[in-house]
Amino acid sequence: MATDIESRRDALLKAMVRVVGRKGYEATSVADVIEEAGTSRTTFYKHFDDKHDCFLAAYERMVDEVFATIVAECDGERPWVSRVRKGLATLIEIFSLEPELARTAVVEVAAAGADARKLHWDAMNRFKGYLEAGREAEPEKELPEQISVMAVGAVSGLIFDELVAGRAEQLPELMPDLLFAMLVPYLGPAVASEEMRRAAQAA
Amino acid sequence: MAAKTGRQRPERWRPPRGRHRIPAEVIARSQRERLLDAAVDVIAEKGYATTTIADLTKEAGISRTTFYEMFEDKEACFLAAYDAAADVLARRVASAFESEQEWPARARAGLEALLESLAAEPAVARLALVDFGAAGPAAQRRYRAALQRMTPLFDEGRDFAPEGRSLPANTSRMAIGAVVGLIVDEIEAGRTERLPELLPEVLFATLSPYLGPALAAREIGKR
Repeated sequence: MATDIESRRDALLKAMVRVVGRKGYEATSVADVIEEAGTSRTTFYKHFDDKHDCFLAAYERMVDEVFATIVAECDGERPWVSRVRKGLATLIEIFSLEPELARTAVVEVAAAGADARKLHWDAMNRFKGYLEAGREAEPEKELPEQISVMAVGAVSGLIFDELVAGRAEQLPELMPDLLFAMLVPYLGPAVASEEMRRAAQAA
Repeated sequence: MAAKTGRQRPERWRPPRGRHRIPAEVIARSQRERLLDAAVDVIAEKGYATTTIADLTKEAGISRTTFYEMFEDKEACFLAAYDAAADVLARRVASAFESEQEWPARARAGLEALLESLAAEPAVARLALVDFGAAGPAAQRRYRAALQRMTPLFDEGRDFAPEGRSLPANTSRMAIGAVVGLIVDEIEAGRTERLPELLPEVLFATLSPYLGPALAAREIGKR
């Protein structure tokens, strides 16, 4: 019975991510979410105080899942450049297969208030930390401390533009550019261009 | 109301109380300016979703009727405030940029003006780069358009850099994303007033996609 309760909560969380991605946070109602999840209003309020409460839980769970998928794909991948390539490709695949999730994760989160923006910020920091983790030391170059902020900012800016323009499904075509954006602050344009060309050939 | 957002802009002129001979269009312009200022301040303070028209009219010192003579709804008022703020920022950046000759110096001047403007008006910084996300698809498009206006500041790097022409067409968008990422991090951390200190990092994010980390670092060291 406990698993049944859990699975209903789960269904609500997933429904929230999809509906918000489709309709926008503002326009989404609790009624939309329970309809999408196929649960009752009573079930919704057993688990959550309101739409905002459910959204925060849904967002956190989604980030955990996306992050876990990337880690599962990338851990042990060497050298660092290959790990970055694989991690980015995994993220892009998730976003292109689930455009609604992508819109919720990157665009709509900004509409859901300061608590939601904090979750987004925390998520970005997790990605930044993971990006930095396996990097081979390059003591000869003095890179600014915020180099990962630049790399992640460049990539998320490009993805945001594509999602706002309704091109989530076409994101994989942008993979070479996204890889360039991620690598260039660390490695410079010559190396990043070379990696970009290779990614374009592989596609 | 605006105390926490650290408003530093001068108070707008207001018509005197009682009978006066000030033309109606002057009054209307002053009301509109006050309303747009109020929108920036109140939304930065309360967030877009919870801001009401009553909040805006109270802060601006205008009547509800006057509000609806100027704007259809809250969103229309927000978009006008956004356009006005983005326009001021873009013109300041462009004139600083045009004041220099060679690209790295031009980019430095433009970015310096951007950081100083945002730091001087934290409420504008929040509106332009954070709060727009709460105001729906039209606001998202305004945001993208505002960032696109910054493209020349970055893309002149194509002609300046040795291999500039072979860089991806999206290079300026990436660099803009990197710069915005750095700035938003500071805003979210409550350090908007200290944005000018971020100039070396912002400049690195701008120059390094075109020049590479080593040359970019050397340019940043110049002054």
